[in-house]
Amino acid sequence: MRQFLLARLAQAGIVALVVGALCFALMRVLPGDAAMRIAAGRYGPDARIAEAADKVRLELGLDRAWPVQFLDWLASLVQFDLGHSLVTGAPVVDELKVQLGASVWLAAAAIMLSLLIGPTIGVFCGLKPNGWTDRLGLAGSVILRSLPPFVLGLILMLVFAIWLGWLPPAGFGTWRDLALPALTLALGLAAVSSRVTRDAIATVVKAPYFVFARHKGLPEAAVVWRHGLRNAAIPVVSYLGLQAIYLVEGVVVVESIFAYPGIGHALVHAIVERDIPMVQGTALAMGLIFVAVTAAVEAASAWLDPRLRRTQ
Amino acid sequence: MRVALFVACVAIALSTLSSMAQERMLRVAGPWEIAGVDPAQSGYVFSRLQVAETLVSANATGKLMPGLAQKWSVSDDGLTWRFTIRTDAIFHDATPVTADAAAASLKRAHAGVGVLTQLPISEIASDGQDVVIRLKKPFAAVPAYLVNFSTIVLAPASYDASGKVTRIIGSGPYQVKSLTPPLKLELKGADNWWGGEPGISEVSYLAVGQGETRALMAESGEADLVFSMLPVSVERLKRNPKLDVHIATIPRTRIIKLNAAAPFFDDVKERQAISYTIDRAGITKVILRNADLNATQLFPPALAGWHVADLKPLTRDVDAAKRLLAEAGWTPGPDGILQQGGKRFSVTLLTYASWPELPPIATALQAQLREVGIDVKVSVGNSSEIPSRHQDGTLEMGLISRLYSIVPDPIGTLLEDYRPGGSDWGAMGWSNDELQTLVEKLAATSDPRERAALQKRAVEMLQEELPSIPVTWSELAIVANKRITGVQVDPFEVNYGLASVRWAE
Amino acid sequence: MSTEIASPSLLRPSPVSVTRVIGAALLLALAAFAVLGPWLVQADPAKQDFSASLAPIGGEYLLGADHYGRSLLARLAHGARLSFGMAFLTMLTAAIPGVLLGLAAAWRGGWLEWTLELLANIVLALPGLMLVLLLLAFAPGNFGPLYFGLALTLWVEFYRITRTTTATILKQPHIEAAKLLGFGSGYILRSYVLPSIAPLIATLAAFAMATAIIAISTLSAISVGLQPPTPELGSMIVELLPYYAEAPVHVLLPPILIFLLVLGLQLIAQKDSR
Repeated sequence: MRQFLLARLAQAGIVALVVGALCFALMRVLPGDAAMRIAAGRYGPDARIAEAADKVRLELGLDRAWPVQFLDWLASLVQFDLGHSLVTGAPVVDELKVQLGASVWLAAAAIMLSLLIGPTIGVFCGLKPNGWTDRLGLAGSVILRSLPPFVLGLILMLVFAIWLGWLPPAGFGTWRDLALPALTLALGLAAVSSRVTRDAIATVVKAPYFVFARHKGLPEAAVVWRHGLRNAAIPVVSYLGLQAIYLVEGVVVVESIFAYPGIGHALVHAIVERDIPMVQGTALAMGLIFVAVTAAVEAASAWLDPRLRRTQ
Repeated sequence: MRVALFVACVAIALSTLSSMAQERMLRVAGPWEIAGVDPAQSGYVFSRLQVAETLVSANATGKLMPGLAQKWSVSDDGLTWRFTIRTDAIFHDATPVTADAAAASLKRAHAGVGVLTQLPISEIASDGQDVVIRLKKPFAAVPAYLVNFSTIVLAPASYDASGKVTRIIGSGPYQVKSLTPPLKLELKGADNWWGGEPGISEVSYLAVGQGETRALMAESGEADLVFSMLPVSVERLKRNPKLDVHIATIPRTRIIKLNAAAPFFDDVKERQAISYTIDRAGITKVILRNADLNATQLFPPALAGWHVADLKPLTRDVDAAKRLLAEAGWTPGPDGILQQGGKRFSVTLLTYASWPELPPIATALQAQLREVGIDVKVSVGNSSEIPSRHQDGTLEMGLISRLYSIVPDPIGTLLEDYRPGGSDWGAMGWSNDELQTLVEKLAATSDPRERAALQKRAVEMLQEELPSIPVTWSELAIVANKRITGVQVDPFEVNYGLASVRWAE
Repeated sequence: MSTEIASPSLLRPSPVSVTRVIGAALLLALAAFAVLGPWLVQADPAKQDFSASLAPIGGEYLLGADHYGRSLLARLAHGARLSFGMAFLTMLTAAIPGVLLGLAAAWRGGWLEWTLELLANIVLALPGLMLVLLLLAFAPGNFGPLYFGLALTLWVEFYRITRTTTATILKQPHIEAAKLLGFGSGYILRSYVLPSIAPLIATLAAFAMATAIIAISTLSAISVGLQPPTPELGSMIVELLPYYAEAPVHVLLPPILIFLLVLGLQLIAQKDSR
């Protein structure tokens, strides 16, 4: 166990370093004048951007040699200081607290919802492959996957905000505001996880041990519970890990249509506006979340499938 | 199914609860995000929502009105301006608004990147109850510049030791209760505003970037007042019996910025041909859904003095366009694209999505220019690319949205756009001595009659020479729920008069 | 190679299921539409006619016209060619290395697995959106880097599923027994590993194509990669979206094409109950 934790810590360190260095390098080599972009990001498109850019360049020391700037960032990172956003001037940590926090809530809600929806439907589909439940499940998941999230979001808004009048179309701060964006994301996730579950269950159902258990005359529910779910859960859990990663960044459009302050929205702005400390901070935070999620998924997989433990 | 039912029940229960709790808060939604608290960055939000005030204000026709300054005057030589601060104004931290504090805010604005940097200021000081601005040369529009949001007056406690703004302590009818950048701002009534008590004491502002979502916020009743509606949703909202839609034409024109030094646009005939090619009526009807926005000249009728009613309007005339292009030496090539001396008439039209209607208009222009044999590649980028490509001279065409009320007097923008050597959002590779003289004279003149003749001549020259080609004017559409009354539309977007909004009985 | 992995059972003589036939027919029809459509439909997908703005379906324009009065039939045909083609390429560029590396990692283990895991982790830890946006900054206004950037993030999905599932299979007692009995790795791969991972991979592949098109549409929604007037299914949805109240069916036409594509792929990839 201690070894496992140490390995994870080392991995987190490597991820932090690599992500920081890569972001830094990539943002450096991008074509275009960073100061201009920062100025446009700060003062909006009506301002005198060229003049503002001159002041930005001076103020931020963007003309310093890049190794100096990178070492600066590293030195601050060691002291847990992520610097200040070049655009808003606020500490990156403060911005992350709001935006990453909001995104994590959204992502967690979406995953919970998708876990309620996806695997449940997948189990029913998988138990009788090619039955009518399965066909319906397939059609549903394909429809959900063919709609871009903003179309799905709009449809949900029309249904829940206009037609039924239960939930607000946009906003944040209360769980009511969270419901629609989370549901939009959850439906997209459930579309895939229900199929992954269905396939896994369909495989398990045909496995000799499962058939045998059925023949033994155990009640259907018990068979599924004892043998089916556990075995089918392995690919589902491992896929869920991936989904969690995509979620945190795949929320951009959902965040912007629901006016929800999140990391995806912040990251896009930061990249477009060449806000390097924000990009680095955001990427770093996402990288660390990734390490945590992978660790959790591996632990879950190991618990589900004892044979895997040998390799850990 | 059971889960869905459960979720639904909980949803109903809690939605009734929370809507009861929020009953008396004025909920406002608009497209502007609050990027940072610096006045030059997001001062417009605080000015429009009446948190902070400027020395001078403007009414709906652009006429200057007293703000924090109750009166102003200029010395006979035109070099010294005095603004007398009203005595009953108080900051939200209960300190009085003094000339000292106002001068400090202005000094900071002058050192920053706001509009004050464009004035020939030599000194800003305070003298008793007066703010004194000394100039290097006479400039008539100083009060108009003091309407701009970057000159809002903040309490000394708003700044930290280094002079950076850390929070907004203004003097308006509303004070900041909480700010969650970039999306949410909550306000509550200030106790002793000089203009009286605001009609509704609690306001929450939510930045909603997507136009579709804003329309739904209005339709669902989740917002009482929503700013800036998409053209397509306006008709639908007008039919909604619960909503009032207010529309005003604002002093913002979408123009094609041309590089008049490029071989494609160096001849005025070429620029006129482009103008003749544009189907302004079609674009305003189909994309903007408001035929009044057809930009027959640079300034819309709302800009008194700057709109010349008897000017020959810019219209569509494809035959004339073809003739002019032929006269300028362009002949159709084998692929249908015009060419001259082996060079194809193929240009890049650069635009940006900060305003959602720009890329669709660019797409329409592309198809229209193709009809006369001009090949246009549309590139949608970041707004900073226009000034940066202007600087390095590689810009060919740009579709931009230009605001002529950065200060309520368009002279501020004209001075900037048609200065010698061109400017980021103005002329490129084009300059005209007569126009420059005119504009400079206008900047120094305050007599309305004298100005009228100069304004007319300047507008005529721009119409003839077309250093940039007007495409459409812009509108501001505001939707108010019938729950509230007293909503006004300010075409100059100085302040939205929230303080005079009341609950309808 | 990839088709072999994606649907190995297609190559084996198996009773042809009705589902598969429907799926294949659907895909054939879509392929014909994408390949022949632009050629058969004479209308220029970029030609605007403001008087036909949002023309209804079934009138002068068979599938109606968009807000600019451009023929939607022509745009869908050209869009299908571009989007399906690019999505297919993206899926292949992601699936082939993903599956191969996944198999290699599970099979060989050791330093190879360790290195691949590290690589996959780094790619995953870097926000995919950032990769795409950065790649795009180098070649703005091109769909190529957009799809390539997507493939760079999508391969990990294939890799991980393949590796995990294969590792599980290889550790089952009867496989370990088969190994001990001296059955060749080719045999084990064909008879045990591939049949188990194939349906998972096929499902993933079908969804990956949809993901690619939807991702483009998502990026268009934040004005990245827009390139008017090129008809691309994802950006067509974004262009039409504001008109959802007036012409809802128009907005849904491109998603319907994507739906048919994913459905066809899913039906073909469907694992039969034998």
